[in-house]
Amino acid sequence: MARFLTPRILGRALPVVACGVLFLVPMLTDDRYLFKVLTFVGLNVIVIAGLALLFGFAGQISLGHAAFVGIGAYTCGYLTAARGVPWIVAVIAGTVLAGVGGFLLAIPSLRLKGHYLAMATLGFNEIMSVLFVELRPVTGGNDGLRGIPFASIGAWKIDTPAGNYLLVWGVAVVVLLLTANIIRTRPGRAMRALHGSELGALASGVDTGRLKTEVFALSAGIAGLAGALYASSVGFISPSTFSLEFSVLLIAMVVIGGAGSLAGPVAACALLTLLPYADALIPGLSKELIALIQDWEADISGFVMILVLLFAPGGLAALGRRLGGTSARGAGGVQ
Amino acid sequence: MKMRGRLLTVVVVLALGSALVAGCAQGKRGASDGTSAKPYRIGAVLSLTGTYAGLGTPEQNAIKLEAARINAAGGINGRLIEVFYEDDGTDPAKAVAAAARLIEQEDVLAIIGATGTGQTMAIRSEIARAGVPQVSMAGGSVVTDDFDPLVFQTPWPNRIVVPFTLKALKARGLTKIALISDTSGYGTDGHDIIVKEAAAAGIEVVAEQTLNPGDTDMTAQLTKIKGAAPDAILMWNAGKEAAIVAKNMQQLGMKTPLVGSPGNGRKEFIEGAGAAAEGFRFAAGKVLVPAAYGTDSEPYKVANDFITRYTKAYGTPPDIFAGHAYDAFLVVVDALGRVEGDVTPGSLRDAIEKTSGLVGIGGTFSYSATDHNGLTMEELVLYRVADKTWVLDQ
Amino acid sequence: MNSAELLQFVASGLQNGAVYALVALGFTLVYASTGIINFAQGEFFMLGGMLAVAGVRAGLPLPFAALASVVLTASIGLLFERVALRPRRDSGPTVLIIITIGGSMVMKSLARHAFGPNELSLPPFSPGVPIVFAGASIDRQVLWIWGLTIVAVVALTFLYSKTKLGRAMRACSLSHDAARLMGIDTARVVMISFGLAAALGALGGVAVAPLTQTAFDVGSRAGLKGFAAAILGGLGNPIAAVVGGLVLGLLESLSVAFISSTYKDAISLVVLLAVLFLRPQGLLGKSRREKV
Repeated sequence: MARFLTPRILGRALPVVACGVLFLVPMLTDDRYLFKVLTFVGLNVIVIAGLALLFGFAGQISLGHAAFVGIGAYTCGYLTAARGVPWIVAVIAGTVLAGVGGFLLAIPSLRLKGHYLAMATLGFNEIMSVLFVELRPVTGGNDGLRGIPFASIGAWKIDTPAGNYLLVWGVAVVVLLLTANIIRTRPGRAMRALHGSELGALASGVDTGRLKTEVFALSAGIAGLAGALYASSVGFISPSTFSLEFSVLLIAMVVIGGAGSLAGPVAACALLTLLPYADALIPGLSKELIALIQDWEADISGFVMILVLLFAPGGLAALGRRLGGTSARGAGGVQ
Repeated sequence: MKMRGRLLTVVVVLALGSALVAGCAQGKRGASDGTSAKPYRIGAVLSLTGTYAGLGTPEQNAIKLEAARINAAGGINGRLIEVFYEDDGTDPAKAVAAAARLIEQEDVLAIIGATGTGQTMAIRSEIARAGVPQVSMAGGSVVTDDFDPLVFQTPWPNRIVVPFTLKALKARGLTKIALISDTSGYGTDGHDIIVKEAAAAGIEVVAEQTLNPGDTDMTAQLTKIKGAAPDAILMWNAGKEAAIVAKNMQQLGMKTPLVGSPGNGRKEFIEGAGAAAEGFRFAAGKVLVPAAYGTDSEPYKVANDFITRYTKAYGTPPDIFAGHAYDAFLVVVDALGRVEGDVTPGSLRDAIEKTSGLVGIGGTFSYSATDHNGLTMEELVLYRVADKTWVLDQ
Repeated sequence: MNSAELLQFVASGLQNGAVYALVALGFTLVYASTGIINFAQGEFFMLGGMLAVAGVRAGLPLPFAALASVVLTASIGLLFERVALRPRRDSGPTVLIIITIGGSMVMKSLARHAFGPNELSLPPFSPGVPIVFAGASIDRQVLWIWGLTIVAVVALTFLYSKTKLGRAMRACSLSHDAARLMGIDTARVVMISFGLAAALGALGGVAVAPLTQTAFDVGSRAGLKGFAAAILGGLGNPIAAVVGGLVLGLLESLSVAFISSTYKDAISLVVLLAVLFLRPQGLLGKSRREKV
């Protein structure tokens, strides 16, 4: 039995099982709250996939990804709610616009390193926050943008929480597969070289400038895609959602998950997103306990972040490797 | 490849976890049906953490106090009231999840909330889908201007307060005003209505400045305003920046009268601005000085009773936000008592819409099929700060 | 616009700028000895104000409350470094930075539990009418802020150039390994810089609280502005941090004067980004090889 379950076979079988189970959930329950919460997790997982690629593999920090989520959300929301553009077109527009934004930000930012890059992206996030509030004809200002229609393709309308859950997780699985594929192939190796040493990467023939710009644009585009899906599944967006705080939390998820890993950040993302909704996963918690958890949520998240990194500086990925007893092959990128 | 294997392990664990939970949640829902004597279930979405924690906390205090009082007196129609509180962390997305939870898992009849305008608007689609009435404690005009048959509101919206304030300015001969508002939803809403209504009220706006929540010095904006030489400065915001504006004016030696919004009716403003608060005027409901009602009137007794009990329970007198929450809870409870036949979200909504002459803290509420705010300018008075407290400005 | 008005705008800019500078000094100190950005720096600013208010409420005279608050915040800084950061000293900057983010979340939330969600007031250090200088009026508390900023810069410059500890700190900023080989106790140096950074942040928080009140959530904005100031000036030296803070403050108030109060924060950030793109090492930063 043990011999039968080699990593190779597991690697083949697990995706099928995972997708199967994920997509079976709607048959087991009709709890719309649970779907909402899991949809949030799925949306964050999409952003995290792109950010893990950028930060965890290419080693480029971004404290501005919430702004890209916002660009995607507002583009999709405005086009569908105010302009009546078909949903799929609006989602593509949001994704592309966020990607182009990332590209444009990446060009001058290429010269910056480390903390200066962090500041540039952080500044970008703050500037976009001001614009989300002030460009009222498009964004609705602080009152937010309401009445964003649900996802629809032609006459087929995805207007139930279960439908949205499936849509978001469907996209999330595709994005995860895409990212995993990029990591496994040539661009991934180039990125890891870049993370290790830029000089070394240059010497081995990697066009570091182009690579950095492309990865930045790609991860911004993925964030925009998540934003577009957020807009159509929640139906309401307002500026405070896309704040610097969210950007910081996203980076924290990647680091807690472990740089140079995709599974770790996804796990960290699920953990931190689900924390305030503990009652969705553990039924029967008392009202008082839930209120207590909500009241202390920031403290708990903060402590979890500190403890994980204190005891597993390589993040959840390294912890998983240690528990699994496997050799740390994927740890090459961990700084 | 290892990495992919691990990624998928995580996904599988997540998926299995949610499936398991889904099963459990099912079981739980099945078991929750009880007898007819079960309590009425009311949800409350409040900002207990995040930026609006200072508003949401007194709101929760007020609702807890009132729920306990009503239950101690035997409840409504012989049934107790159970309130389920949810914290939205001042985040619209969390507010949506909170509303979904209250509707799906707690089967609430009505939702009180949210604290902020953004959160109130965000949960509309949840409300609409479930047909549950919502009584908001947010003051944004958009809450009831953008009419939704399910949504009611207890604070005085800017739509009412602004014309009242402009009229009061005009009556005092202050016709050239400079406007300073913050860039939050409340400030922007007030700004827009002031600019729109000024001409009709015979008021000229000679300068417009904004401040951002969190700003720590407003002397730059005030220097601009000083150059425009207004008769009065009208300030529209609800945060701690108000005290800084008052102090900066004093620093700059500006004797121009400063007039604010109901959001400034907080003791923190008087503490923060100190001597600079003296002479500050703002419009708000009569609760701050209940004697404004006339000491033998019904509203006076209601307000006085609430203030006494709240002060006793929490060691500090209620602010206007506690008052808005009292009113929101009162509106729901009053309607519960008037529902004929089965209490469902739908029948409760209809009963709320028929609310008439209900004496609360913020005023006397009378809703109708076209007015879900239910207050008029009659509920407002102008206050002045004198000797570190509020007095009526006659 | 007359000269008195212009001077008033400059005074306003320098007032905010001095507060940014105090926070930026903290960022710079920690960066110089560890190479990391301490995202909890803004929370030290918050703690300074809050603890001073708590002291006054407990009946301490204001000067003692202010001093106690700075000392207590410095101890919290030391403790935080010792408990949460030192065990992971060799893990590379990103892990340490995220630990400081976790620390800032905990400090902010604990402050709300301890002191409540409302803003709190602190009395002014020396009450009295504002000082009028060439038509611009300046609050007495602002003079305290300026004075404390100058004292902090002078003290830090002295520390860096004249004392053994300062030399050790500079050695650490160049290379931890080399410093260790020279017999410097690098762990101690790092811990002391955290304590000093926390003290500086707290000093800013105490000094500004009488003007603006304070609350559990003032730290994020202070941290953001301080970080921007430190980057604008160029990370790693105290003078650059102060210059960065003052320039940032002036940019904001002059934006109000000449462009728009609504966009003042955005404008100053656009200028900051422009500076970064043209001079990636900041206004006063020396272009040096990237530390590994």
